[in-house]
Amino acid sequence: MKKKTITIAASVLMLSSVLSACGSKENNNASPSASSSASESSSPSESAAASSPAAVENFDISLRHIQISDLQKFRKAILEEVVAKSEADVPGAKFEMDPVEDSVQRFTKLPAEMAAGNPPKIFDLFGGPGDGQKYARAGKLLDLTPILDELGIKDQFTDFSTFVVDGKVYGLPIGASSEGFFYNTEILAANNIAVPKTMDELDAAFAALKAKGITPMAMGSSAAWVPFMLVNTLVARYAGPEIQAGVGDGSRKLTEPEVVNAFAKYEEWIKKGYFTKGELGIDYTGQINEFIGGKAAFLFDGTWRASAFTAEGDGKALAGKVGYFAMPSATGGKGDQTAVNYNQNNGYGFSADVNDNEKAAIKAFIKNLYSEEYQIRGFKEDGVLPSMKVDPSKLPTENPLTKEAIAINAAAGSVFPHFDSLVAATVNGEFEKQIQNLIAGKATAQKATEAIQQVQDKELAALK
Amino acid sequence: MNKTLRNPYVYLLFVVPTIGLYFLFFVYPVFQSVVYGVTDWDGLNPAKFVGLENFINAFKDADFTASIRNNMYFILFSIFIQVPLIITFSLLISGVKRFQGFYKTTVFMPSILSTSIIGILWQFMYHPSIGFFNKFLGWFGIEPIYWLSDPKWAMLSVLVTNAWQWMGFYIVLVLAAILAIPKEINEAAEIDGATGIQRAIKITTPLIMPIISVVVMLSIAGAMRVVDIVLVMTNGGPAGATEVMASYMVNKAIRFGQYGYGTALSIIIFAIALILTAIYQLVFARKSERVEY
Amino acid sequence: MPKIFKKGVPHLLLMIYVIIILFPFVFILFSSFKYSNDAIVNAPFGLPDRISFENYAEAWKKAKISTYFFNSAYLSLSAAVVAIFLAAATAYAIARMRLKRISNAVYQFILIGMLIPSNVLFISQYILVKDLGILGTHWSLFFPYVAGALPFSVLLIVAFMKAIPSEMEEAAIVDGLGVIGSFLRIILPLSVPALVTVFIINLMGNWNEYLLSNFFISKDYLRTLPTGMVGFRDSFKMNYPLVFTGVVISVLPILVLYGFLQRTIIEGLTAGGVKG
Repeated sequence: MKKKTITIAASVLMLSSVLSACGSKENNNASPSASSSASESSSPSESAAASSPAAVENFDISLRHIQISDLQKFRKAILEEVVAKSEADVPGAKFEMDPVEDSVQRFTKLPAEMAAGNPPKIFDLFGGPGDGQKYARAGKLLDLTPILDELGIKDQFTDFSTFVVDGKVYGLPIGASSEGFFYNTEILAANNIAVPKTMDELDAAFAALKAKGITPMAMGSSAAWVPFMLVNTLVARYAGPEIQAGVGDGSRKLTEPEVVNAFAKYEEWIKKGYFTKGELGIDYTGQINEFIGGKAAFLFDGTWRASAFTAEGDGKALAGKVGYFAMPSATGGKGDQTAVNYNQNNGYGFSADVNDNEKAAIKAFIKNLYSEEYQIRGFKEDGVLPSMKVDPSKLPTENPLTKEAIAINAAAGSVFPHFDSLVAATVNGEFEKQIQNLIAGKATAQKATEAIQQVQDKELAALK
Repeated sequence: MNKTLRNPYVYLLFVVPTIGLYFLFFVYPVFQSVVYGVTDWDGLNPAKFVGLENFINAFKDADFTASIRNNMYFILFSIFIQVPLIITFSLLISGVKRFQGFYKTTVFMPSILSTSIIGILWQFMYHPSIGFFNKFLGWFGIEPIYWLSDPKWAMLSVLVTNAWQWMGFYIVLVLAAILAIPKEINEAAEIDGATGIQRAIKITTPLIMPIISVVVMLSIAGAMRVVDIVLVMTNGGPAGATEVMASYMVNKAIRFGQYGYGTALSIIIFAIALILTAIYQLVFARKSERVEY
Repeated sequence: MPKIFKKGVPHLLLMIYVIIILFPFVFILFSSFKYSNDAIVNAPFGLPDRISFENYAEAWKKAKISTYFFNSAYLSLSAAVVAIFLAAATAYAIARMRLKRISNAVYQFILIGMLIPSNVLFISQYILVKDLGILGTHWSLFFPYVAGALPFSVLLIVAFMKAIPSEMEEAAIVDGLGVIGSFLRIILPLSVPALVTVFIINLMGNWNEYLLSNFFISKDYLRTLPTGMVGFRDSFKMNYPLVFTGVVISVLPILVLYGFLQRTIIEGLTAGGVKG
């Protein structure tokens, strides 16, 4: 992926179409064209029904999802509706729901099942060389291209490049997200802290809060993908928004001084005690709990978290008292300092090992789930940015947080992905390990970046 | 009669199912491990022969050697902390008349629960804000300790939980051995004027050496097998502080798809277990043979 | 004074140990009746202000504890029973039948299993059950459980059977009892103490097993109690009282059963046990 500075217009529609235009190098032919209209999004329901056998035959189809906790109740409700609709579309089909915790699914269950050749028929899947693309290359994933063609929704997606191998689509992102800072307006006001615009102001805010005995940032690092979000964005601030792609294809290195500076900033924050104490024993839910409980002023999280701070959400105690801003610009940072993180890397994949019945059920599932209706509802109820082209005027804006996030994204000069969608699982693992080592004081910025680069060098060498 | 007891058909009937199952699920996997252990195999694509590379890499792998050390902590903690406590409490229980049954029943209780339940339970005991330990320290004005999230404390915390779970089981074994000692021996010593503690140290303890030797053996075997409690309580964290060999092996194979490397690690674990068994035979088993009833 | 001291000190020490053992149970029991995390944070050891079974109803509904429990119970029991029968038959052949040379080889072969820490086989067993097409079914746990129990069981039962005097068996065989009859009617009943010991140890091991059941089973309704409860914890991390309630529900039947059978279990564990 070459450096691409893109101008992002003020609407989500524009944002998403431009993004799709700069999809990864692997899928030029599969990238949806930016000019296609969004009006065809309601797809024919007959197709799924027609392809199901005439004689009703009862069958189960396993569906692994990750909506297990109360925090994800909105997504689960949507999923259940989609399942009900799909069961109605395909007579005899019974979707067998199998909920598994997010990182357990991604890092334990699915890899094991892929190696064993018995994945569920429908499952939560991440894109990128460490996940979806690896399984696709091994022939484990169902090629969705014909289904997308049949349903006529192939060009409705803004960008599914991380799920594409050799021009074929193997997974569909359920939504998009950016990652940035949420903050507790009451705590900031009580301490006379304005929303930080530069890294120095952020540092000053952290220091002021810490001096008053308030935890500056809620953090739960027992699963390292949580702090990795913060590190990923810090690295882009210091080393520019092209760094992720550059490291991914080997043209850039993590040992560059700017990357080390980003890690050093993170290390400094750890050393100064800006994160929740005992963060290595706290998980993602614990971190949100900390923030909801008003025990920390900032939270670095994905835009999807906005749904928690509504009257119906788990963080209703903070409804109307939370703001959102992107990572402030870093003094001496390289490249576009307004760039935002933007991911469309999580969604559903399907087993290659399916019979006609199951295929019909999968088709119905895709048709029902990937529709304008649920893209809008996902946005409205769950703060998930659309992964399909949706008429921006249809996107409700009651939630000030998602509104803010969209405005920030619209004003951003460029976007950058997350490392985990561009590097192999071992490199991702090394990132996570080194981040935890930094927290535990077992590594330095210098040593950590060297160690990760070493693993990446090995992976790149193996590809040649 | 010899003929009856030499019936080859019955012999086969009695032996073959056991040997078959044992071979298929126990011996064959060992051979398979050796086969996979010399390959680079991700579980998805065909395996590639790499010779001893995996084994060489394993000893260069600082995370794996750290996990070996953690297994050793389990062994050392068992032998030097648990075993003396097990003997002490067994002697104490054997010495009391009232409540003996109650003590026995209670101390054994954790052994009947599954490790994962105990892991969940103790996670809450160690919880920084609601856990017992920090509340207790708080009464003395001591700052909370992040038991399971501080790399300095996590290993000890897991060891204590493991001890809590298994000590009662061993106490019951040792207690049975103590109670099996003929009463006359102790009575004679009592007449000679030996105090309770003297009798415990001089008479009872030597007599129960064989069972203590068994406890040590079981502790070593248990320490080599340990994985559940780590997976449930810390998943090897914080920052690898509680990673044991087995959890590391499982992680390498499952999460990173390094099936070849993972099986190579499992062979190394097996080899370490053999070495420890040999050491045990030299140190403990020989000694205990000399003790006779 | 010294006499009271002498009698008191052991009880005092033992009582401390008993409190350490019972404490976590009391803690979860109390906490399971509380409404919110805050109630636990504020007074972890306070008595609940009123007895409420709402958590219990919710936990029962949300976690399939009864399913997990049933799965664990029938898998542990069936695997332990089958292992006992296989091990006893083999032990009889080795200890009592007069094919010494081959018996010796068989015995040594099985004993090698004692040296292998079970989790060493994890990856290969995973691939094996996958190749056998039983991955994801209870068979993928049943066979490794049975096979894993065999070496120890055979060792212990052989030791016990060897110690049984041969007169009775010889007399019965002279009277025309066949070898299977001798095994079933004479030796097996006499070996009951050893069988009970082995059975309890195997049962406990199967009941406890986490590693295989975590990776070999993926469907929720097939999960065993250990993996099911960890999944439950992961789902409701934010709701401590609910997690506690789940733990209480899963532990209670075992404690009740233990209450009734503790004498049998503890004595059984040691009766056929290792002698020096």
